[in-house]
Amino acid sequence: MRIRRILGEPMLHFLFIGIALFAVYSRMSPGSRSSGNHIVITQAVVDDLVTQHTAARGRAPSPIELGHLLENWVREEILYREGVALGLDRDDIVVKRRVRQKLEVMAEEEAQTTPPTDAELAAYLSAHLDRFTQPAILSFEQRGRSVLLPHRMLEMPADLVARDFGPSFAQALERAPIGAWTGPITSSFGVHYARVSARTPPVVPRLEEVRDQVVREWENDRRQHARDESYAKMRAGYRISVEATLPGEQR
Amino acid sequence: MRSNQLFVIGAVLLAAACGSPPAPAGKDGGGSAVGASQSIQLGGAPAGAGTLTADVGEIEPADPAAFHKEPGYSPYAGRNYPQRPLFGDEHVHTAWSVDAGGVGTTISPEEATRFARGEQVTSTSGQPVRLGQPLDWVAITDHSDGMGAISELRGGNVEMMKDATLKKWHDMMLAGPAEGKKAVMELITAQSNKKLPPALTDPKFAASMWARNIEIAEKYNDPGRFTALIAYEWTSNAGGGDNLHRNIIYRDGKDKAIQVLPYTTFQSENPEDLWKWMTEWEKKTGGRLLAIPHNGNLSNGRMFALTTFGGDPVTKAWADERQKWEPLFEAIQMKGQSESHPSLSTTDEFAAYELWDRGNLTQTPKKSGQIQYEYVREALKNGLKVEADVGTNPFKYGLAGGTDTHNGLTAAEEDNFFGKFPSAEPRADRWNEDALKFGNNPVVKGWEMTAAGYTAVWATGNTRAELWDAMMRRETYATSGPRMTVRFFGGYDFTREDATRTPAVAGYAKGVPMGGDLKPTPAGKAPTFLVAALKDKFGGNLDRIQIIKGWLDKDGKTHEKIYDVVWGDAGKRKIVNGKLTPVGNTVDVTRATWTNTIGAPELVTVWKDPDFDPTARAFYYARVLEIPTPRWTDYDVAYFKTKITDPKVPLTTQERAYTSPIWYTPEK
Repeated sequence: MRIRRILGEPMLHFLFIGIALFAVYSRMSPGSRSSGNHIVITQAVVDDLVTQHTAARGRAPSPIELGHLLENWVREEILYREGVALGLDRDDIVVKRRVRQKLEVMAEEEAQTTPPTDAELAAYLSAHLDRFTQPAILSFEQRGRSVLLPHRMLEMPADLVARDFGPSFAQALERAPIGAWTGPITSSFGVHYARVSARTPPVVPRLEEVRDQVVREWENDRRQHARDESYAKMRAGYRISVEATLPGEQR
Repeated sequence: MRSNQLFVIGAVLLAAACGSPPAPAGKDGGGSAVGASQSIQLGGAPAGAGTLTADVGEIEPADPAAFHKEPGYSPYAGRNYPQRPLFGDEHVHTAWSVDAGGVGTTISPEEATRFARGEQVTSTSGQPVRLGQPLDWVAITDHSDGMGAISELRGGNVEMMKDATLKKWHDMMLAGPAEGKKAVMELITAQSNKKLPPALTDPKFAASMWARNIEIAEKYNDPGRFTALIAYEWTSNAGGGDNLHRNIIYRDGKDKAIQVLPYTTFQSENPEDLWKWMTEWEKKTGGRLLAIPHNGNLSNGRMFALTTFGGDPVTKAWADERQKWEPLFEAIQMKGQSESHPSLSTTDEFAAYELWDRGNLTQTPKKSGQIQYEYVREALKNGLKVEADVGTNPFKYGLAGGTDTHNGLTAAEEDNFFGKFPSAEPRADRWNEDALKFGNNPVVKGWEMTAAGYTAVWATGNTRAELWDAMMRRETYATSGPRMTVRFFGGYDFTREDATRTPAVAGYAKGVPMGGDLKPTPAGKAPTFLVAALKDKFGGNLDRIQIIKGWLDKDGKTHEKIYDVVWGDAGKRKIVNGKLTPVGNTVDVTRATWTNTIGAPELVTVWKDPDFDPTARAFYYARVLEIPTPRWTDYDVAYFKTKITDPKVPLTTQERAYTSPIWYTPEK
């Protein structure tokens, strides 16, 4: 099973080391809790609880309220230590994800240093023409049951026509003959008759016309890929072996 | 995808409905759904001329363009009124907001903007997500307090790590969600006690993050197709939890926005100081700003209090400032709606909707007498009284809707609801978790989150200036998520015929749109209103349109009345003892589906106020209600096959839109 294979990866050992380091650090830093089964309620703890309560309620806690707050704090501390002793933080998917995210952000920041060349942009544009192709532009009149749907639209991109009327209506207009009433055409609201008075077909732009957009999309893709590339590099340094029976296999 | 299935069902049913026999023609006082009629045959052997509506004449088979004898037939002349409602969210938080990044949100302003534009992204919890339909515009409103400092903190910014407290918080944030939440609480506490480490409030971090924020908006701002408004949230929690937040929306671009850093609550929690900052900002840059407050329901009586922030009686100067800077109020979002409350509107059968009415932002319980200063309908009424007393209406608010998402995803569709925080992203038990928990205060449960909302703006075009100008003149309406088209005009000469044609033509020619003002006629005529609504193309049919009136009587008392003015299935429903027959319910809660076999896809009518008093200040706004459809909790039930056992949890909802009011002011 995939999960078992991942759990077997040395990445997990990396995370153990990282978490152990955090644990060691927090024991060494000021204001940290004492270890073992001796729990010390320091001034910092009391001050924190008092200021939190004051912020939420607009007044300091009474002695009874403070007692409850301290009991709750101790309870949480005990459960936390017992949980850590059982390794519950190690198997925590959220801890894992957080460390992963930090590494991925580091990879992205490293990749952002060099701007793209014209050649790279041209290649990107050719590879993703569908993203940059400008949709057909339609001018039309329509009649249907609704009084709120516009009767006339001038030079509207087909995707915005689809937003108002639904995709099947826009597609029908892209194929309709120019200058003649046609129909019935179905939209999300029912039946229409329409006359397209002008239409420009979809245009594949030249790089100069859409350079800013291409740069933006190229950089966005690089941000995504930086994560994959950086992972591939790390992966190359590991050996993965499976020591489990995957469901469906036979030994 | 679920919404595609529903679209198919809806389209088939609509097509079937098109062939149904005609509904009765409109009568005065309501009940006129757009009339069904025979289909028209054109192009090919005509099966006979037909009419679209009963009283506009016949269509020549050759040219249906002869059909609409509208004044000024030329399609290009004088056509500078808004033609399409532009939908967007004026309230989005990303990883760069202190309380979002701190609990692990990974979506940056760039990804949040891409998501609003219709791109697919990966949510913080690792789930792929995409909007059912792109928005037309978005305003990313990260908190100005500690802007960006939080991601610098999590990222281990070298300068920040020199401070021991910041280093500790950094490590807590990386140690897991519980520790991260504690770090955020400590940070909020330190902020309210003015004890934040100086590195965190160092303007140079804010400056670089603000500059980066503006760059992202400039990158995605695409005039005519998609607008990225520059914005931020000023997050005043007066007295430790009374919500007085405002979103600041810029009309301009980078050149002006970059000149001044956003105002923070380190400087002041008092909205009156915010207005002063806005005055100074406009003087310095020559640009324009507006502010949109939200969550009156969590202000424990302060949002629409009839006193200044310091508790003094209101003055004309104070009311002038408030009305000048705050044209809109966000009436619905993920933390419930602040439009109306059942204790204030006892005869409003739809007021008990998505209520968050037990406490303030940190859930310090409300005291008795506070609710009346939290809901905008009451504020609209009280505003008339303040105007009569001091000369200006401080609560002359148009209405807006937003999400207030803190996981970067402006996802308000019921079948695509990703919640407010990363912990509320879809999972089987999210309905039952503690969504908000502050100390020992009462908890808000996950199911109470509302999958809402958006603002529809009647702008003349999709550009920053045009959207901002429309917001400033209040030509907007709030929706609980669906993208119904709503028109609302007030004037003295609307007739039944105006309900059979494009509403905008008569509306702009003979009246004022939503957000406008009516002056009295010499003859003391009663105003007429032209109102129309078309369903969201993938959404539920419409139940009814109501017009909600509020007024001030000669004794200085305020009143409200709700009129049902037009409804679907008119032949089967009527008003008895002031209540309209309910529209019914087709929701199958086990499968989270419904059918558009009840209600109507479009409703249009002209209504005249039968109780008009020309000497009384008044306002009117339209509320549109859909038929019942599944709520996001029901989609969770169907998807996760979970059992929601608590009977308090609603599984169906009647989505709605509220327009900005039209105000009537009598002669002095």
